[in-house]
Order: sequence, then C-alpha cells, then structure tokens
Amino acid sequence: MGTQKKSFFVIPYLLWIALFVVAPMALIVYQSLFDITGHFTLGNYTDYLESATYLKMTFNSVWYAFLITMVTLVISYPTAYLLNQLKNKRLWLLLIILPTWINLLLKTYAFIGLFSQNGSVNDFLRFVGAGSHQILFTDFSFIFVASYIEIPFMILPIFNALDEINPSLVNASRDLGANTWQTFRRVIAPLTMPGVKSGFQAVFIPSLSLFMITRLIGGNRVITLGTAIEEHFLVTQNWGMGSTIGVILIIAMFVVMFLTRERKGKGGQSR
Amino acid sequence: MANPIIEFKNISKKYDDNPVLKKIDFEIESGKFYTLLGPSGSGKTTILRMIAGFEDPTSGEIEFEGHRIDLTPANQRPINTIFQDYALFPHLNVSQNIAFGLELKKMNKADIKAKVAESLRMVQLSGYENREITALSGGQKQRIAIARAIANEPKVLLLDEPLSALDHKLRKEMQVELRALQQRLGITFIFVTHDQEEALALSDQIFVMNDGRILQSGTPVDIYDEPINHFVADFIGESNIIPGTMTADYLVHFDHKDFECVDAGMRADEPVEIVIRPEDLDITDLDHGKLQVTVDSQLFRGVDYQITGHDSDNHEWTINSIHQTTVGANVGLIFDPEDIHIMRFGEDEETFDARLDSYEE
Amino acid sequence: MKSKLKLSNLYLTLVFVIIYLPIAYLIFYSFNTGDTMDRFTGFSMKHYATLLSDTRMISIVLNTVVIALLSALLATVIGTLGALWINQLKQRTMKNAVLSVNNVLMVSPDVIIGASFLILFSFLGFKLGFTSVLLSHIAFSIPIVVLMVLPKINEMPKTMLDAAYDLGATKWQTLSRVILPSITPGIFAGYFMAFTYSLDDFAVTFFVTGNGFSTLSIEIYSRARQGVDLEVNALSTLMFLVSLLLVVGYYLLEKYGHTRKINRNKMMKGPNAQ
Repeated sequence: MGTQKKSFFVIPYLLWIALFVVAPMALIVYQSLFDITGHFTLGNYTDYLESATYLKMTFNSVWYAFLITMVTLVISYPTAYLLNQLKNKRLWLLLIILPTWINLLLKTYAFIGLFSQNGSVNDFLRFVGAGSHQILFTDFSFIFVASYIEIPFMILPIFNALDEINPSLVNASRDLGANTWQTFRRVIAPLTMPGVKSGFQAVFIPSLSLFMITRLIGGNRVITLGTAIEEHFLVTQNWGMGSTIGVILIIAMFVVMFLTRERKGKGGQSR
Repeated sequence: MANPIIEFKNISKKYDDNPVLKKIDFEIESGKFYTLLGPSGSGKTTILRMIAGFEDPTSGEIEFEGHRIDLTPANQRPINTIFQDYALFPHLNVSQNIAFGLELKKMNKADIKAKVAESLRMVQLSGYENREITALSGGQKQRIAIARAIANEPKVLLLDEPLSALDHKLRKEMQVELRALQQRLGITFIFVTHDQEEALALSDQIFVMNDGRILQSGTPVDIYDEPINHFVADFIGESNIIPGTMTADYLVHFDHKDFECVDAGMRADEPVEIVIRPEDLDITDLDHGKLQVTVDSQLFRGVDYQITGHDSDNHEWTINSIHQTTVGANVGLIFDPEDIHIMRFGEDEETFDARLDSYEE
Repeated sequence: MKSKLKLSNLYLTLVFVIIYLPIAYLIFYSFNTGDTMDRFTGFSMKHYATLLSDTRMISIVLNTVVIALLSALLATVIGTLGALWINQLKQRTMKNAVLSVNNVLMVSPDVIIGASFLILFSFLGFKLGFTSVLLSHIAFSIPIVVLMVLPKINEMPKTMLDAAYDLGATKWQTLSRVILPSITPGIFAGYFMAFTYSLDDFAVTFFVTGNGFSTLSIEIYSRARQGVDLEVNALSTLMFLVSLLLVVGYYLLEKYGHTRKINRNKMMKGPNAQ
C-alpha cells in the first residue's frame, strides 16, 4: 500500500522530467536534423561547420563570454574578500544580491538612459572635459552591462567559499610563518577555487546566450549564440538551424561544466 | 528461563553481503535491565533496531511474548526507543512531543494531559509542559525523550547509547536515575553502550558483543570475574593476560612456575590464557612475592597508583595499588588462587558454562 | 594599516555605487516632469498617473502576477513531492542520476529552454498563450524548489522519522506531522524562489508566449526597443519596492530557518552548548 501511494504522489514530478527535461532536449536534437522545408538532413551541421560567419560568431560569443566572466571575476573576488571581513557581512551580502531580484530588463533599460548620447555618463564626460562619446551600441557597453548583471552571481559563490574557511586555518598559516600574501596564495586562494569555479559556471554559460542585452545595448553589433538562436526561431523561422546552434550551445555548456567540475577524490574524501 | 519476552532465533543480518549479525540466539526475560555491550560495529545497535522494527533480519525469527514479531511494523509494536540524539521534534513543544504517540492512539484530551503530567513527574521535570525543545539543556532533552517513550507504556524500552552526549557528571546522575526508573516501572530495558563501566553499573544482564556475535552473556559480576576469552577480558576492565599451560585441575603453569588456581575441567598441558585483574595484585618485597617484576612506570590517578612492570619473561604487568613504589625497583607480586582466571582458546559460551557447572557448586 | 582599510572601503563603496547607480537613476527620473532620462526638469508624479491609467499595462501586471503565483504554487507542490521521492531513493547512483536530471534546467541557458519548449509545444500542437507560459514557468521552477526543499529533508535527523514511527505513526502520519512541519521553511523558500524566477523571466517567456499574451518583461522589452519611456521608470520604481518587500520577507524566512538550524545543532551537542 505504501509504495503504491508513494508512486502516485511522484507521478507529476516524473511527468515533468519526461515532458520538460528529457523531451525538449531530445526534440532540439531531433529538430536540428531538419532543414527549413522540413526535410531530414545533416545539412544544418555541414552549413554551420563550413560557414565562416557561423564559426566567427561562435568564436566571438565564446570570446565575449570569456571577457565578461574575467571582468566579473576581477571585480568580484576582491569584493567578496573585503565583504567577508565586514562586521555585518550577511547584511552587506544581501545588499549585493538585492539587485538580482530586480527585473533584468529594467536594469538593462536603465543603461539605455545612462549611456545614451545625451545621457548622464556623457554629461559627466563632457563635464570633465573628455567630450561626448558613442557608448551605447559598442562592445564596451555590452561587456559592461553584461558584467554588471552577472557580478552578484560571481560574488555569491566566492563569498560562500571564503565564509566557509575555518578562521583557525588562517591562524595556523600565520603561526607557521606565512605572511598575509603567502597565507592568501597558499591557503585562501586554493580553498576558494571551488567558489571561483562555480562562479565561472554561473556567469560564463548565461553570457554565451545573452540575447536581450545584445539587442538593447549591443545594438546587434555583438551577435552571440543566444542572439542567433533567437533570430532563427523567432525572426527567420529556420528552426532547424536554430536548433543546430542550440546543440552547439549545449555542447559548449557541457565543455565548460566539464572544465570547471569539482575534482572528485581531492575534495570528496572528507566523508 | 521461564517466559522470555523477546527471543531471537537464529538471526542473521547482511548489508550488501556484508554480515553484521551472524546467527544470533538469545532470550530476554521480562522486567530486567539488559545491556548490549560492544565496540562500534559489533552489531549491538542492529539488534536494537531489529527489536524496534527499523530493520528486518535477513534470516531467522524474532518472537515477542511467544509470537512472531519481526513482520509487525515498528509503529505497531509495544516497544519504544530512546535515541542517541534524542530525536525530539523541534516543531513541537515539550507536552506536544510527549503527547505525540498518545494522540496517534486517539486517547482523549484529558487523559493525554494527565499522562503527560505523570510522565514529566517520572523524569522530574513537572511543569515543563509548555517549554520549547530548543530552550532545553542536553540533560533536560534526555529526560523529555525518556518521558515521551514511557508515556506510551511500552513493554520494552530500548535505549540507544542515550547518555553518550552528556558530560561525565550528568552521565553518572542519569545512570542512577535510569536504574531507579527501570525498577519503578518494572518493564524491560534494553540498553546499548560501548562504555563497559556504564554496562557494569546499570545492568542485570550484559551481552558482550563483537563482530556480529554475542561472545558472552551474564551478570556483570560473572562477566567481570570470568571472562570467556581474551576479547572480553580485555574489553571489560583492565587486565593482565598472560599465556600459560594447565598442568592439572586447579594447577596452572606460567612464568616458569606452577600456581594454584580455582579452574578445572581442561585437558592436561592444555595451552591457556591467564587473567589477573590489576586490582587483585599487591606489591610486596621481592622475597615474599609469588612473582618478581621490575617497575617501569607509575601513574598517580587519584584513587590509586597505576604501576606497570615486566617479569623475567618480559610479560607486562599492570598493578593498581594504593601504595606508592619506585620506578626501577624490583618488587614481588602477591595474589590469591581465586584471583587467577583461566581462559581456554576458542571455547564457546555453551561449553564454558557446562565446564563451570561441572566443578562449581 | 589604516590606509589599507580606507582603500578597501573605497573599493567596496565604489562597487556598491556602481551596483545601485542604475537603479537609483531609474527611480530618480521616474519623477521627472520631462519625458527623457537626459535632463531633470522638475518633480512630477505624472508618469505614475499615466501608468495607473494604462489599462493595458495593468492587465499585463495582473497576468504576470497570476502566472507567478500559480506557477510557483504548482511548482512547489510538484517539487516538494519530487524532493521527498529523491530523498527516499536508496541507491546512491540512482539518486545522483535523478539529481543531475533535475538540475538540467537549472544550468541550461534560458534561450535553450525557451527554444526547446517552443519546439515541444508546437510538436504537441499546443496553442501558445497563457497556458504555454504557465506550463513553462512551472517547468523551470520545479528544480529550484527541489533544491531548496531537499537540504531541509536531509537536515532532518534520520532518528526523528524513526522516533515518529516508533511512537506509532504510520507513514502518512509521519509525513504530515513530522516531515512537512520540519521542512516548511524550505517549502516557503522554494515557493518564494519560484515566484521570483517567474516574475523575472524574460527569455523563456519570450519564446513561448505567442502573440496574444504578454508579461511585464516582454512588455518592457518591446517598449525599451522603441527608446526611453518614463512610464517604464515609474513601473520599475514600483517593482523595486515590491522586490524590496519580497527580499525582506525572504530574509526573515531565512533567518527563521537559520535559527532553527542553530538550535538543532545545540540539541545534537547536548548540555555543553547551553
């Protein structure tokens, strides 16, 4: 009786797995094998691999995602480190995370105003005598806004990793003769690597597929894998090609996850 | 035994081909305080969990008051457990915790209230009804856990190392209280511990376990005075264990000498092990000693000195003495024939008991 | 030492300024008399008036909230049941496999989720609109609920379930009287996260919404593409306030869960903790 009851309760969850996890992933692979007229073909993949435009776009997308991740990391690590030493660090962390609850679109929209030809940033530049510049619709504005949005997602895991470090480890390191920098390099940095890795995952993968920011801020100058997928699905209606790029994106995602995976055996021994 | 309340018949338990209990047989009499004593991994907790109904035997049968119980689910057994971490429900307060089982039995409100009050009185925490669990100290939680279990009026109360989380002083206090509670309630307690002192202090009967087997069962005095083998002798109390041979009945040979003893029923010249407890050894001058040792170290422990030394065969001897001696000194040791206990190699409990019966009267 | 402290404070201040500047900027200009985010010409509430009389916008807000409330509710129910099921799986490999499958939608880029759901709906001949958006939101919220609830279940000492069983509770009574009350903070947290996920989502909705149905994110996107519109600023100010309230609520919830955890640790440690 017990098992029957249980299996009855779990049906919705299993249905969800089948319908919304397994089926969509299978369908996107299936769809990538059809051309725009609905004929079965491997043409999408050969087109993709032979097209300089697609390959360049993919390379660019990866490159931009990498830049965004690096910018985010460089800003976030010191921030997380300094935050962790504050008195009410939980509250400050909450203040860092607070903007993630504000709709993504609104934050992006704010930059349209800030970066526009007559926007506040240009006002400021004119004020200090640097003259006005075209900021919106540049690579800079794209990377800046994307990094702005991703920063909390990088700070959070690094902060948590720092927070978990037993303070006596730092004391032990000092006790054994290490100075602040040596303690950081030999103790803190290695111990926060898992945090950095998950931050890298959390930022890099979404950055590959941002399409809304490229449209609103990048002004279509920057085309990412995400933009290309959106375009094929919703504009040109070439679902086959869109799915093919989707499959490429999924592969890229797995590569990133593999490269930043937690090494078992090193950390897994604690139990 | 007259009417066993619980009986294990040929019980085995395996986890993925890994045997944790190996053909266990025992009986438990009603109204006594039993202790399962053994190192971690010996299978004692598994036995307790089987009685409670949290685990099923791989083979064999468990009987409760003469009827099979191993197929009855835990929630239908008249048996309750006190858990090592107390397992009090943090979302319920004290009286709700104690009332938990009673409400499930659909007891009426007034009766529940009375029962809760009575149980709290039993554990000397009257008036604690509305306290939150989180506001209790460790010792109080322990008592509430006991109150919650006894409120259900179980026929058997299982205690899974319940005192291990308490500090030394509180543990001693609770031992006294548990013993008193068991005598007042008159129900069977089955207590699991790895602390031999606790087992000796509390129990009517002790089962010493190791490696999935019950090595010896008996009263604390029996087990302390007549351990069946090296493991039991070593695990319970401190002991000097020396190899020797049985020259004849009541005569044992070790350290190049024959000694009078009180054991018999073995083959002539059978190799045996000799146990002498450190507190049974007394230090005297060299000439008066039955044995001669050189003192290697001396530790003051408050109640006595623990002295270690070695004899001419390089056997190590531990002596607990209230008299001080000098490290490096050569001293004599004296002891009485009844202080010597002889253990045969590989003797099981049945033959051990039979042999003892054959000459002890 | 002192100058170092100053430098670090300066750095943190700068980070906080950059993080909050755009939001402050949006809010500031929502009170502008003019119609651009360039020049502040005077204080006025006129954009709020426009917003409140914009029936299209109000119905979109309602749509968004209804979708968020409903999808979070259903995702919480399904996710909690899923978490309970995962928890009682005996085999480690099976458990890990189910958890990996559970997390697929957590790590997948929004675009992939949106595109694959679009294919799914068209494959099933499903009409795009309210239902497809609702189903999608439920789908991408379920894993987060599982991830919020599962640790709470794991955190529960195994002996608590044994104790309930030992005291005579059936499986169902154990669930309703012990497990569910114990994991309530996790369930609330899961609901809250699912709710904010739904409110926040743009990309997935963008793919599966079709023509007739719109949520706030979609509406803001299409208005932002046409340039600055201070009605959006007014809206964002209000949304910021709502977010703030939600975060405070979540913070309190977390704190509640946190104290419980601390208390439980005390219990495990025994008297020395007191």
